[in-house]
Amino acid sequence: MTVARPPCRLAALGVVNALGGDAESVWRGLVAGEPSRLSWNDALVPGRRLLVGAVTERLPEIPAALARFGCRNNAMALAALRQIEGPLREAIARAGAARVGVVLGTSTSGVSDAEAAFRYQHDHGGLDPAFDYAQLEFGGLAAFAAEWLGVRGPVYTLSTACSSGARALASARSLLAMGLCDAVVAGAADTLCGLTTNGFGALQAICEGVTNPCSKNRSGLTLGEGAAMFLLTPEAGGIQLVGAGESSEAHHMSAPEPSGAGAEAAMRGALDDAGLAPDDIAYLNLHGTGTPLNDTMECQAVARVFGTALPVSSTKPLVGHTLGAAGALEAAFCWLMLERSERGELELPPHCFDGERDPEIPPVHLVGKGESARPGAMLRVMTNSFGFGGNNCTLVLERQV
Amino acid sequence: MSARAHVASWFAWAPGLEDRPAWEVWAQAPEPLALEGHPDASFLPPMLRRRCTPLTRLVLTAAFGALAEEERPRVRTVFATRHGSINESIELLHQVVAGERLSPTKFSHTVHNAQAGLFCIAAGNRQASSSLAAGADTFACGWLEALTHLEREPGRPVLLVASDVPLDPTFAVLVKEPPGAYGLGLLLARAGTGPAFDLDLAGRGAPGAQPWPDAAEFLRFLLAGEERLELGRFGFTRAA
Repeated sequence: MTVARPPCRLAALGVVNALGGDAESVWRGLVAGEPSRLSWNDALVPGRRLLVGAVTERLPEIPAALARFGCRNNAMALAALRQIEGPLREAIARAGAARVGVVLGTSTSGVSDAEAAFRYQHDHGGLDPAFDYAQLEFGGLAAFAAEWLGVRGPVYTLSTACSSGARALASARSLLAMGLCDAVVAGAADTLCGLTTNGFGALQAICEGVTNPCSKNRSGLTLGEGAAMFLLTPEAGGIQLVGAGESSEAHHMSAPEPSGAGAEAAMRGALDDAGLAPDDIAYLNLHGTGTPLNDTMECQAVARVFGTALPVSSTKPLVGHTLGAAGALEAAFCWLMLERSERGELELPPHCFDGERDPEIPPVHLVGKGESARPGAMLRVMTNSFGFGGNNCTLVLERQV
Repeated sequence: MSARAHVASWFAWAPGLEDRPAWEVWAQAPEPLALEGHPDASFLPPMLRRRCTPLTRLVLTAAFGALAEEERPRVRTVFATRHGSINESIELLHQVVAGERLSPTKFSHTVHNAQAGLFCIAAGNRQASSSLAAGADTFACGWLEALTHLEREPGRPVLLVASDVPLDPTFAVLVKEPPGAYGLGLLLARAGTGPAFDLDLAGRGAPGAQPWPDAAEFLRFLLAGEERLELGRFGFTRAA
């Protein structure tokens, strides 16, 4: 069922990940399709070298007045927020601080810094005086962003594992539609840390080298970190968030339902929510983690909803799986595609893998290097995010040529 | 008004406050909640119950108590918990720092939406589900997130579960909040027979103004039949 609601413009985007610390370098890396910005790390998992999508740019300092929020995850968020500080401050001035909300997603919050505090505790026997619970608690991310911006609308952090970032955008759109906010800052940040790398390591979900989605040789995911922050306004024009579809799987805490029923429900839900048919979509950014189970079930679901002609790709070999940030980052990739399209031509991010397609996977159209699409007067793209606990969220973005 | 929701049903559990009559008595003369104790959650299959943390038992008890059996697979869900599984994450963090191997099951059960995932499995529920945290504003923001689900699908009721357990003592010293172990399940709907409340952001209350958690304060307000409740910046007004 389609709910009649005001427009939801994704008016500005700040983004940081392994490809770079600004929209231009992220876009260039995306269409180049080379996983060359991944780096080796031997500090995260004992006795193991991991290829990860680490952010190598120097992150901004947390202002002294907000020192209690000082952690890498919030610095990551700040790096993205600062890129759009002008539009954000203008929107706040226009709407008034009480009418601006902040809805962000994360799966790690400041765990990487908490680990440092725990090391301190092991070595010194007391809590590190620089540590504050605001760095570790999930609500800390949105609280930090709200304090930095000086806004007083609703402020909360969604954490539904790898769908957190997509879900933040869906909820932000609803806050605008309900008339509770005149602008919402929505997005996500996640940080590489020992907890998630060792946890996914224990699940035997991390591959050697770079992730290889949809290949018959795929053996797991590559982890990454990053942030994407959007300004959402109830204005027409520009790039619009037009659909959100959500589902739960009721199946398993850490494995997707193998038929892809949950993924299918999320994609169909997003189409219904947007009032669109499958043929209206020009490109789909896959969840595409490179685990044996995910890629099989996702491509089966994609084939059932769209057939096999729709161009699809996983961008995780380029930036790693950024977990709680992935949904917002991949929405950011969709936003960049739409923003940079010229005369109706969409340049598509290529699907990077070893080229040895898994014959067990339906023959979906994996985007090749240099490929573009020319869908017509309305450019519409979709992005999938599926999380632990069986929590799925699919978004549809649109731009009129 | 789109920020309105009816409370179609509710169920709450805290140590010593284990059914509706007990909460009705508590609401007449409220006092701080007990810190220790969790429900036995005997309605769960033994395999699932064995893996349940105290928080999970509280959440599932509140959730199942607030829903008739036929509603369990049909509702959307919102899980509002400030600390979530952080006590279990702390155990894992000690292991990470010590260079020990993590249990894959424990890791996947410490995500903030672990209770949401377990609810969906136990209830056979495949609907949309959010889990969130917002510091001292977690309860009110959970209500707000539930409203966003009613905005997305007005015809489908939303189960809001607010729950927390006392934080690990290492961190509890860093957090000022009314303590308690509790779970509150509220079935919210756009229309219906239960009392309706409008949410606004015109509240002038201090966070944690009362010596029990916001979720319990909301329940007291609900049972007392009062007109207006302010939890921090959030205001709840009983609709006529």
